[in-house]
Amino acid sequence: MKSTKSGNGNNGGLLHPSVDKVLVIEGTHAASYAVKLARVQVIAAYPITPQTSVVEKLSEIVSAHELDARFIRVESEHSAMACCIGSSISGARAFTATSSQGLALMHELLHWSAGSRLPIVMVNVNRAMAPPWSIYVDHNDSLSQRDTGWLQFYAESNQEVMDTVLQAYKIAERVSLPVMINLDAFVLSHTSEPVAIPKQEVVDHFLPPRKASFRVDPSDPRAFGALIGPEAYMEMRYKLFRAMEESRSVIRDVDSEFGETFGRNYGGLVEEYRTSDAEIVLITSATAVSTARIAVDEMRSLGFPVGLLKLRVFRPFPLDEIRSLAAHVKKIGVLDRNISFGATGMIYQEAKAVLYNSEVRPPLFGFIAGLGGRDITPETIKEIFSHLMNHEEPESETIWVGLRTEATDPTVPQFSRHDKKKEGV
Amino acid sequence: MSDYKFTSVEQMPPLAFSLESTRKLQTGSWRHVRPVYQDRTSPCEVGCPAGENIPLYFQLVREKKYEEAWHKILEDNPLPGVTGRVCYHPCEGACNRTGYDEPVAVHLIERFIAERNFSNKLLPEPAGSRKSENVAVIGSGPAGLSCAYQLTRRGYRVVIYEADHEAGGMLRYGIPDYRLPKNVLDKEIADIERIGVEIRVDSRIGGNVAWSELEKYDAVFVAIGAMKSRKLDVPGEDMKGVYTGVEFLRELNTGSAPKLGRNVMVVGGGNTAIDAARSAVRLGKKATILYRRTRAEMPAVPEEIEEAEKEGVRFEFLVAPASVVGVRGKVTGVELVRMKLAEPDESGRRRPVTVKGSNFSLRADTVISAVGEEPDLSFLPYSFLKKGVRLFVDDDYSTGVPGIFAGGDAATNPNGTVVNAIRSGKEAACSIDEFLGWRAKSNGAAPDVVKPERVNTFYFPHEKRTSVPRMSVEKSKSSFREVNRTLSEAQAVAEAERCFSCGTCLHCDVCMTFCPDVAISRNEEGDYVIDYEHCKGCGICVAECPREAMTLVPEGSREVEQEVEAA
Repeated sequence: MKSTKSGNGNNGGLLHPSVDKVLVIEGTHAASYAVKLARVQVIAAYPITPQTSVVEKLSEIVSAHELDARFIRVESEHSAMACCIGSSISGARAFTATSSQGLALMHELLHWSAGSRLPIVMVNVNRAMAPPWSIYVDHNDSLSQRDTGWLQFYAESNQEVMDTVLQAYKIAERVSLPVMINLDAFVLSHTSEPVAIPKQEVVDHFLPPRKASFRVDPSDPRAFGALIGPEAYMEMRYKLFRAMEESRSVIRDVDSEFGETFGRNYGGLVEEYRTSDAEIVLITSATAVSTARIAVDEMRSLGFPVGLLKLRVFRPFPLDEIRSLAAHVKKIGVLDRNISFGATGMIYQEAKAVLYNSEVRPPLFGFIAGLGGRDITPETIKEIFSHLMNHEEPESETIWVGLRTEATDPTVPQFSRHDKKKEGV
Repeated sequence: MSDYKFTSVEQMPPLAFSLESTRKLQTGSWRHVRPVYQDRTSPCEVGCPAGENIPLYFQLVREKKYEEAWHKILEDNPLPGVTGRVCYHPCEGACNRTGYDEPVAVHLIERFIAERNFSNKLLPEPAGSRKSENVAVIGSGPAGLSCAYQLTRRGYRVVIYEADHEAGGMLRYGIPDYRLPKNVLDKEIADIERIGVEIRVDSRIGGNVAWSELEKYDAVFVAIGAMKSRKLDVPGEDMKGVYTGVEFLRELNTGSAPKLGRNVMVVGGGNTAIDAARSAVRLGKKATILYRRTRAEMPAVPEEIEEAEKEGVRFEFLVAPASVVGVRGKVTGVELVRMKLAEPDESGRRRPVTVKGSNFSLRADTVISAVGEEPDLSFLPYSFLKKGVRLFVDDDYSTGVPGIFAGGDAATNPNGTVVNAIRSGKEAACSIDEFLGWRAKSNGAAPDVVKPERVNTFYFPHEKRTSVPRMSVEKSKSSFREVNRTLSEAQAVAEAERCFSCGTCLHCDVCMTFCPDVAISRNEEGDYVIDYEHCKGCGICVAECPREAMTLVPEGSREVEQEVEAA
């Protein structure tokens, strides 16, 4: 499963013949340019920090007639998603973007769009939920929506944001399900990186216009999302379940087709990094992956047998990939940038669940770090690895890393307590 | 879906939707209010004394149908080239756009339409059938022309008696060329004559034409204007070098400008005073306006005051002449007394009172008095009721003498403006029509005006108002050539685009787009049709309509019953 030509690990993709130009842009703008290249027809969004510049750029693109799309201003995220549903059901390619509370406000319609099997694509800039107010990154906003029927991708770099938006439309339209692409607030959204912008004709070839299998026709009115009785509801849910199951192979296929066309791909649902001979592997997602790559390299240079699994897709959950990883490692740590109150970190929960019926079940450690924008540094990752190396079994289900506390608490390991003297506070 | 039995998952569509058309679900039965289209009155139509249908002709401008736009104006006002230039445009003061950004420049568009049709000979079709009655109009100013035009369109034969050598009244003799070129006036008078109005010039009733000549007419409209200047009523007023504003402007307009000294003092704060002062500047003189109140109380149009200021006219506020001073019967100065403002008088303006012992003098070679005009009613053979110095008329412009009506500055005109004179002519024509038994009395219901808060401004981006294209001040102050220019086509269309079109449907399709039941469609003529079998009465169309051209009426109400009957 290890990718040799990852868009993150190897920027050779910048010189690929598919590249039109290389721009140094923010993650939000990488999303905007991808939407333009995908020839989206309807954009409806409500501004919220740090998503705003995604649609701000798109409004400029549409008003300059660089993209033939309807840009609909709305009064809330709920309406934004309603507009996307309306336009998508009429056969159009629709896009929206939001963040945090905005995504929460959309919640009802997230069910609606998935239940209607509409291939809407949304960019969500991961921002911590309030209160207390925060504009900084964590993943509770999108992970709270895990049961709505949306596919969820987590991007590691601005290039991956762009590439995943292009892949997302292809996947969404093939499986008739909506796709959410998540990027970390500020760490990606407002940080500039070189991004290869592919040629329009190459994108057009990769992503032809949408062919909707059904669409609203005003001359033949039908009721959509109609009431159905107990004799059919369960079957409809089963169809949605099947579509999500089948999306696993579609994601892998589209990613490898993307690789053939554009010269870089992302390993499908996960990317393994230095895992083949690893004994201890950390699972994490989004920008923490980049940081973890550095930590893994440093620890490898010191001879520690560590590796990394990048969880690129959270829905559908990469069941096979995690089981096959577990088959050959001794311990697994999961770094969650989220917390499900009353339970644990959500990736940890899910990883544990998929391993329960597995023959090989190495000990699994659940770490919580980086909430509300607290930095996850290479030191944070190395702390986690050293904890993994020094413990045979997890002492508690949840281990909070970098918490500012003086209390003795089994969920907070001694080593990671915030040291006031060291920081000179 | 109920009569279709799925036996397996595979047979089911991915999305739950009805297998049959939902048209048979007559959701209209849920409705207790129904949306209907309605033409409502825009505030500018009410603001315009002549009652021009501004939203309608703006729409024609946007469609570049300039001739139709011209005809639309002519229904209410036969002098758009004149009013487009000299009207004080109260329509703009009423514009709903005022609170949003700036009012639409209605007068500039009106002028553009008139200019566009300057060589157009195609006048609108007469509105009424040929009638046997004849009507005489005394005076060919804006009131007389308007009345004669409206009556002729209704089928009457109308003769205008004009005492002067040329038609136009104050438009010709009172307004200088730099504001209203004579060819514009000539053109519009010629249009009025072309539809059949006969204008007999050099025909002074009570002078070379006897009052008894009017007895052969079925009705008479008196529109002699107010051509007599009010006196300053101070010592020295009859000295050489003292003119009245009306006298001065008349001579200027007939090509024989009176000799002015270097320092010209103009007394008064109205449009005549401003016209006299700006004309004096054009003749190379130093002009000063002496006004007894402050700038805020000046009755002149604010734009005119600004123009005068730009051109170098000086203002002395809160002063009144105590006497005109002279040597050997020739003016050398004015003695002035300072004024202060006391409590408001009946006009609502603060009353000026003299400040004792504040007298002072200014040098002057010429004094022009422009403290108001009044009608000269001495020609009337028998006593008419009067109100102050003017003829008294009822709301329908009747004088009390059967068959004799009056309007314009001679009778009603509250502020002596051209457009109010046009209005009185138009309304008097309706009354004369009624008097002659041809027209039913109007019900006089107050119009239902669209309020600014009912405009859905979401649909209107902020746009700056166009500015008046004008000659440079350097050039304008040394020439009688017209100062303001006409908008270009692009400017006029862009300005018309700013119009909210309050209460007038523009077929923008917003209602159709937003209807959640797809119950609104367009028929072959392009008009909207509401399918009431499916309209649930949700009211979204009415709420979204950018311009309140739709409303909701309760089912079972009189309006609905009438509509059902009509259909």
